[in-house]
Amino acid sequence: MVGPDTVVFGEVTVLDLIVFAISVVIIVIVARIIAIYLKRALSDRMERAELDKLVKVVQAVIILFGIWFALPSFDVDIGQLLVVGGTVGLIIAFASQKIVSNFGSGIFLLIERPVKIGDTIQIGDISGTVNQIRILSTIVKTYEGIYVRIPNEQVFSSDITNFVANPALRFEYTVSIGYGADAGKAVRVIRTLLQEHPFVLKNPAPSIFVSELGDSGVKITIYIWAPSRVWWSVRTELLQKIKEALEHEGIEIPFPQRVVTMAGEKKRETGQGEE
Amino acid sequence: MFGESDYSFCYDSEEVSIRIDPLDGFYQYFRKSGDEEIRKVISGKSRKIVVNPVEPVNLPREVTRFLEIHFTPVAIEPDSSEIVYITFPVEIGVFLESKDDFDVLDIFSLSRPKYSLYGSPEEGVITRYHESAVSGTLPEVDRLKEGVIALSISNASRNWVEVSRAVFDCSSLFLYYGHCVSLVARMNILSRDIADVRSEDRPLSDGMKPSVLVIKARKTLISDKIPFMMEFGVGD
Repeated sequence: MVGPDTVVFGEVTVLDLIVFAISVVIIVIVARIIAIYLKRALSDRMERAELDKLVKVVQAVIILFGIWFALPSFDVDIGQLLVVGGTVGLIIAFASQKIVSNFGSGIFLLIERPVKIGDTIQIGDISGTVNQIRILSTIVKTYEGIYVRIPNEQVFSSDITNFVANPALRFEYTVSIGYGADAGKAVRVIRTLLQEHPFVLKNPAPSIFVSELGDSGVKITIYIWAPSRVWWSVRTELLQKIKEALEHEGIEIPFPQRVVTMAGEKKRETGQGEE
Repeated sequence: MFGESDYSFCYDSEEVSIRIDPLDGFYQYFRKSGDEEIRKVISGKSRKIVVNPVEPVNLPREVTRFLEIHFTPVAIEPDSSEIVYITFPVEIGVFLESKDDFDVLDIFSLSRPKYSLYGSPEEGVITRYHESAVSGTLPEVDRLKEGVIALSISNASRNWVEVSRAVFDCSSLFLYYGHCVSLVARMNILSRDIADVRSEDRPLSDGMKPSVLVIKARKTLISDKIPFMMEFGVGD
C-alpha cells in the first residue's frame, strides 16, 4: 500500500513529491498572475515585443526561484543533484538530439538576433512577420495570416532575409513611355510627385533615369528609398500615382506593339510589281 | 488656439476648423483641415481639453523619433560658441485632460511632412526632415506652422567646423508655447563628424507655457535621456 510516507527513491517520500508538485503549481500560477499584472501596467508604456520579452524573463526567474525554494522539501543534497542532473542531462541530450539542437539554435538566435519580434522576414520559403521567438521554435505569421511554427534549428541554418533590419529600404519601378513622348518631361513629372510624398526619403534622394530604349517604348527606371517600416505601403501606393500623373500630363504609357509590314504592301510602296 | 479650454472650445480659420458639439448625451469632436475631416465621440466629466504644439514626428504616421533640421551652413570658430535661430515644423496635439492625466484625441499639422535618412542605410536613423534659414535674431513665423529653435552651437574641436544640420531626439524634447512655439537646444561639436545635441527644459522667453507632449501622454517609458549623438557629420 502506497502512503504519504512511502519512500520513492533515496529519502524522498510520496509526501515530498506531492508538496513539490503543489509548490510548482502555485509558483506557475503566481508567475502567470504577475505576468498579467505586468502586461496591464506596462502595455501602454512599452512596445509589445519588449514587454513580451520582459514578462517571459520575469516568469522564468520566478519559476526558477520557486523550484529552487521547493527543492528542500525533498531534503536533497544540491551538490549530488547537480551531478545526477548532469548525467541525466547528458542521457536526455543524446536521446533527444533534435530538441537539444533546436534549444542550442534558439540560444544562438537570441544572442545573434538576426530577427526580432515584429520584423518582416523570409526564412526559406516562408515569408511573414515574426510573432514569437521561443526557445525551441520561432512563430511566424504569414502575410495570409497563417500561423507557422519553424524549429529554431531550421531558422538558424536557413538563409534569413530581414526586410526591416536596416532603417531604410530601396525599391524600384520600371515605367515605359511612348517614343513620341517627352522623356525629360516624364522624369520631371515623376520627380515632382516623389518630392511631395512624405515617405519618399529626401536623402538618399530618388533616382529617375532613362534606362532602356525598349521594343515598345522608352523605359524609365525609378529608384526610391523609403523607411523600412512603411516601404511596402509606399511601394503599393506610388506606382498607381505615377501612372495617373503621367496620364494627366498627356504622356502615353504604351502597351507592347509591333509594326508589321506585309510583303505586298512593301512592293506597292516601292512601285515594284506594278504594270 | 493653444492652451487649456473646456468643451466650448472652437477655432475657425481658412486652414483649420475645430469644434466640440453636444451629441446624444455625449460630445462630438470635429476637425477639418485641408481635405481631412475627422469626428470623434468623447465623454467625461472634467470636460477639459488642451491644444498645444507637440513633437513633430507623428504624421502621417509615426516612423521615427528623430527630427532633422537642415539649414544654411554656419562656420563656427574653434573653442567658441554661437546662438543661432532656426525653425522647425509644428504638429498640433489635442488632448483630453482629467486629473493631470492626458489622452491624445487628435494630432494634425498645417505643414507638409517629409522624411529623410541621417547616416547610412545600415546604421543611420530615419528623420523628420525640415529645411530652415538661419537667423541671428528671433525670426517671424506662423506659430501654427513653424516653431523657433534657439540653438547654442559650441565648437570644442581644434578646427573650424561648418554646421548645416542638427538632429534632435524627440523623446527628450521640451517645447514651450506663447507668442511663438519654442525649443531651446544645445549642440556641442566634438569634431567635424561628431556632435551631441540636447534639448533644454526652459522657455525662450518669460510667460511661455510648457507643452503636453504625445510621448508623455502615452506614458511611454524612455530608456535613456542622454543627448543624441550625431555620428554621421554636422555638415552636408
